[in-house]
Parts: sequence; structure tokens; C-alpha cells
Amino acid sequence: MKSVYLLQWQRFRRAPIMVLSFFVMTIIFVGALAGNNPAERPAVMAYADDSLAQNEAEDWVASLNEAEEFQFQLMDEDAVREAVSSGDTSLAVRLLEDDYRIVLAADDMSRFVIEAFLDRKYREELRLQQLEQQPGADDIRSEAAAEMEEPALRVTTSTLGGIDEFKYDNQLQLLFGMTLFFSVYTIMFSLMKIVEEKKQGTWNRLILSPVAKWEIYLGHLAYSFTIGYLQIVMIFLLFQYVFNFDIGDRFGAILLIIACYTFAIVALSMLVMSLVSRPQQLQAVVPIIATGMAMIGGAFWPIELVSNQLLLAISKVLPITYGLEALKGVAIYDRSWQELSEPISILLLFGVACMGIGINLMERRTY
Amino acid sequence: MLETEELKKVFKGKTAVEGASLYIDKGESVGLLGPNGAGKSTTISMISTLLKPTSGDVRLNGKSVIKNPSDMRRVLGVVPQEIALYAELSAYENLKFFGRIYGLTGKALETAIQHSLELVGLVERQKEIVKTYSGGMKRRVNIAAAMMHEPEVIIMDEPTVGIDPQSRSHILEMVRKLNKEKGLTVLYTSHYMEEVERLCDRVYIMDHGKIIASGTKDELKSILSSEETVWIELDRPYPAFFKELQSIESIKQAIETEKGIKLILPKGSRVLGKVFQASERHHVQIINVNVQTPSLEDVFLHLTGRKLRD
Ligand SMILES: Nc1ncnc2c1ncn2[C@@H]1O[C@H](COP(=O)(O)OP(=O)(O)OP(=O)(O)O)[C@@H](O)[C@H]1O
Ligand SMILES: [Mg+2]
Repeated sequence: MKSVYLLQWQRFRRAPIMVLSFFVMTIIFVGALAGNNPAERPAVMAYADDSLAQNEAEDWVASLNEAEEFQFQLMDEDAVREAVSSGDTSLAVRLLEDDYRIVLAADDMSRFVIEAFLDRKYREELRLQQLEQQPGADDIRSEAAAEMEEPALRVTTSTLGGIDEFKYDNQLQLLFGMTLFFSVYTIMFSLMKIVEEKKQGTWNRLILSPVAKWEIYLGHLAYSFTIGYLQIVMIFLLFQYVFNFDIGDRFGAILLIIACYTFAIVALSMLVMSLVSRPQQLQAVVPIIATGMAMIGGAFWPIELVSNQLLLAISKVLPITYGLEALKGVAIYDRSWQELSEPISILLLFGVACMGIGINLMERRTY
Repeated sequence: MLETEELKKVFKGKTAVEGASLYIDKGESVGLLGPNGAGKSTTISMISTLLKPTSGDVRLNGKSVIKNPSDMRRVLGVVPQEIALYAELSAYENLKFFGRIYGLTGKALETAIQHSLELVGLVERQKEIVKTYSGGMKRRVNIAAAMMHEPEVIIMDEPTVGIDPQSRSHILEMVRKLNKEKGLTVLYTSHYMEEVERLCDRVYIMDHGKIIASGTKDELKSILSSEETVWIELDRPYPAFFKELQSIESIKQAIETEKGIKLILPKGSRVLGKVFQASERHHVQIINVNVQTPSLEDVFLHLTGRKLRD
């Protein structure tokens, strides 16, 4: 097994371009899409409706900016409309007295995020205003704030899907999504060496040698696992320390999740290879699987924004969904081990099932 | 030492090999001849335990290897029809790996590598990447890789397809030496008659999945011993002379060729006298007369009605 494993590294050193390109691609995509100043909040242009006085509008903006999620900028209506229609910004917000409108140029994902945010903030604010109208409630705001600081009763809602308490972290969404997405390529193409060996005939040489068949498989599987694992870990380290992303400090949990995810993808690759046995066909199938899985599983945009029941149902059988859920669970929501155990064990279960079926199917095929 | 009994392989309803029985004694050099698709590679895969026969048996020293292939694998070296090498590595690195999986390490491994490279004459260029080799050099490394563990039996599946004459004669000479001097047992597959004539003591001829003839080269040729071929070279065509030859009773067949006439005669028919008499009557200029003994190629043609290669 060791010689088979080491051979793959030797071959990788000779022809590293493919794997490296997926590594570099991840960095480029995350780097470009997250912007080079990751500390900055996304800016959103806003303008006041005629029904709203200038100072009222300023109050709204100040209150919206308190949340420190977006940077709302109050601007002149004409300037905003100009920016939207020329495509400088994909959307802007029109502030009304007790409502808002979103002005859209293109329907992109940030719309849902901002809409969800505005909806929450307006409800909160309007409820407070309503209370202020009540007699004897002059000081309701500070009271409410104090109550919030020290509640008599703390109710923590935690759902595994995280929908109720959706927090959008553009940087981490991109980092996790793109890294897991590109790692699918690295892992699948690395494991494809099994199929190539079978085609080229070196597989038969291995079979004729005293090395056991399971050792040959294990050598390949271990190599694909290592290279996929290292790719993900190195990218996370790079963004954490060089680009100042914040994936938190629970490195142990993150390493464990990466390992489980990598295992699941290695196993999935094995299954795919047992079904599609020609290298050229695989060249076509791998991108379809990787992209399809990434789109539905929430690697390109947060799955929390998807409402189509069918897509959600499909996402439940994709390992990338659980990989992202677990990673975000640690880095964004700081979930407990108990909460993380669900996605982690699903990944492991998925891996074991795919591996079992994959190896069986592959062995049944007569060459 | 090695024998097969009624080997049969059916691929999804298509019979590739049907009832192949053959044996190879220790130190023998046996040829397996047949045109494309005859079932040579399939037979070899079954002998070398890479493919399970649909029915039949493969035995090594009397013991079936189908249930327990490890004995066979230990003594066997297989040179596959395709170039089964890692193209991005050098010849040296390939051999090192194939030696290692046979448990060779350190000095023994290094010696085995250099020895195999010497055999195929690639010591000087061992550090070059296989991808950059010529077809002939790749074929040679392909052979060297099968020699790393010093097998007692070597099975070669068309080891000289598509290579330059120089590499080809190097390979043939090497196999001949290994067999004659080192006593290596050889099963050699080819569709080049002349290679098999040169290398092998005994020959099996396969066609459409069946072994249609077998024996020593002389035995096989004696299949044709009831006939002989006579080539008569002429300065120009003589239709009347040709007509007369066709009418001679003891001439089985007279065929007009580019340079003259080809006669197929029953052996010992003493018909040449009549031919010369006729030539005088027709004032025919005979340039050359050639009585030919049959080659394996003729045997094959006789058995199948087809040429081995087109
Ligand atoms: N894995 C397979 N599945 C289906 N059919 C096969 C398979 N392998 C071989 N065959 C068929 O079996 C027949 C014999 O093939 P084989 O490769 O043994 O011939 P061969 O004598 O080695 O020919 P060549 O000289 O071209 O190498 C062919 O008709 C081939 O198409
Ligand atoms: Mg063949």
C-alpha cells in the first residue's frame, strides 16, 4: 500500500499542474469575490422617499448601520437611480416612512440577504415605535435596550438549518463554498488515476504482484484523501493568516469537519468511477457533478436563501451541503459539538455507503 | 509445467475463446499465433490469472491456479500488449516501483533494475522520461518491467508491434538468449510468422477463439507436405502454354502471377518433365524455376483460407 501511495506522490511531483490549478483557482475566486479589504462591510446605497424628512431618513440609516452588517449610505435620489441604471451597483434601497423598497438592477443573491436584513430591522424598529406611542412609555427604548442586555429569561433558538438566525458572512461563505467546490475536482481527478491505470494496463501489473488488491485501492484512496485534505487546510490557513479572514479559533473542529468531508468526496468519487469507467467520459462527468453539487448544496450562495423545496430536498443528499453546514456552524454560529455531530455523522455515513457500493460495482465489472 | 484445459471465455454472450487446451514444458519456447481478434490476449489473460475463465482450467505443475492464483503469479512475468508504464516517470523510476511491489529493496532492487535495463539495452537512457521514448524503447521498458522479479515463465503478448526493425531484432535476440541460455520458459504471442519461426520450438495456431493446429514447426509444415508449390518465372505471358499446363491431370492448380505461373502439385508427382516438354513445344523462355517448401504462413493460409495479416 505504501509503495502505491508514494508512487502517486511521485507522479504528482512530475505533473502537478492540474492539482495546483485547482488550488490557485480557489484562491483567485475567493480573493476576487471577497474583495481585498475583507474587514469592510458591503455598502448599500439608500435614498429617502418624498414622504420622509431628511432627518427621519438619517435616523433610519443610523439605526440600520447599528447592526454592523451593511454600510447604508444615504444619498440623493437622482444619484442613486443613476448608479443603479448604469450598473455601478446592483441594488439600492428606497426608505419610506414605515416601509422600504428595493430598487434592483440585476437579480443577484445579495438582494435576498439585504431584504432579510431590512425586514428584520424594520419590524423591530416599528414595534419599538408602536410601544413609544403608548402612554407612559417615554423611555421605552432605553428600557428595551436594558432588558435586552439583561433579560429575565433568555430563550435561545437554535436550529440546525440556521434559518431562523441566518447570519450572512460573505467572506466565509465564499471561502468555504469555493474551497469545498474546487476540492471536489482535485479529489476526483486524483482518484481517476485508478481508472487510467486500468486502461493503461499498469493495474494488471499491480494485480500480478504480491501486493493485495485492497492495498492498491487503499493506496489510491489514501493519496486522494491526503491531497484533497491538504488543499482545503492550506487554503484555510492562507486566508486566515495572510488575508485576515476570521474562521474563529476552533481549529480542531474545522480539521475534523474537513477530514469527514474529504472522506465523503473520496468515497463519492469511487462510486462515480464505478459507474463511469472511461477516462474521457469522466473528464466530462466530473465538472457536472462538482458544479451541480456546489450550486444545489450552497457553495455558490448560502443555502439559507434557497426556498425551492425540490432543490432543498436534493441538497439533503449532497455531502457538500453538510460540509458547509458544519463549517459555518463552527466558524459563524459557534455551534456546540452536539449540534455539529449531525452533519458530521451524515458525512461519514454517506462516505461509508458510497465507498461500499463503489468498490463492489467496480470489482464486479470484468475487464 | 503449465497447461490449460478446455479454456473458454464468453464476454456478454460473445465467445472470445473456445476450448483452448495447450501446454508448455519447462524451458520451452512456445508460440501462439493468430490474426487480430483470434483470442490470443484473452487466452493469455486467463493463463496469467488476470481473467477468470468461463469454464476450463489452468494448471501450474498440476495444480489449478484459478482458485489460488498466487503460485502462478510468483513465477510469472507478463509483458502486456499495451505499454503498461507510468509515462511521466523515467524508465529507472518505473522499474524501481515495479521491483518494490515485488518486495525488492536496497541493493537487491538496484541490481535488479540495472540487470533488467542491460537486458533491454537501455542502461544509458534510463533516467529519461518514458513519455519521451520512441515506440521501440517503450516496448523494451515494458519488457524490462516484467523481468524485475526474475520470473521462471514469461508470457509476451505481441511485444514487437509497431516498432523499428532495430528494436525488434534486439527484442527477438534477447528473448532467444533468455530462453536458450537462461532456460526461461517463454510463451510468445504474435501475428508475425517469421518471429515465431525464429524463436519458438512449438506453435499453437488460433483463429476465431479456437486452436486450429499445434505442434513443432516441422509437424505443422508437414500438414502441407502433401503439396508443393512450383514457381515458374517467364519473360512474358504465354496463354497457350498456360492453357496446356491447366489441362495436365496431375497439376492440382495453375495460377497466372505477375512474373509467370504458380503451380500447386501433389508431392512427388514428377510432373516437371511434362512441363518442360510443353514449354519447348510453345517456345517458352523459362527464366527461373523455384520449388518452394511451405512456411508457417502457408500453413495458416491452408488452415483458414486467410492470410495472417492483411
Ligand atoms: N473485455 C472484453 N469484452 C468484450 N469482448 C472482448 C473483451 N476482450 C476481448 N473481447 C473480444 O474477444 C475477441 C478476442 O480478443 P483478443 O484481444 O483476445 O484477441 P487477440 O487475438 O489478442 O487480437 P489482437 O491481435 O488484436 O491483439 C475479440 O473479438 C474481442 O473483441
Ligand atoms: Mg491481443
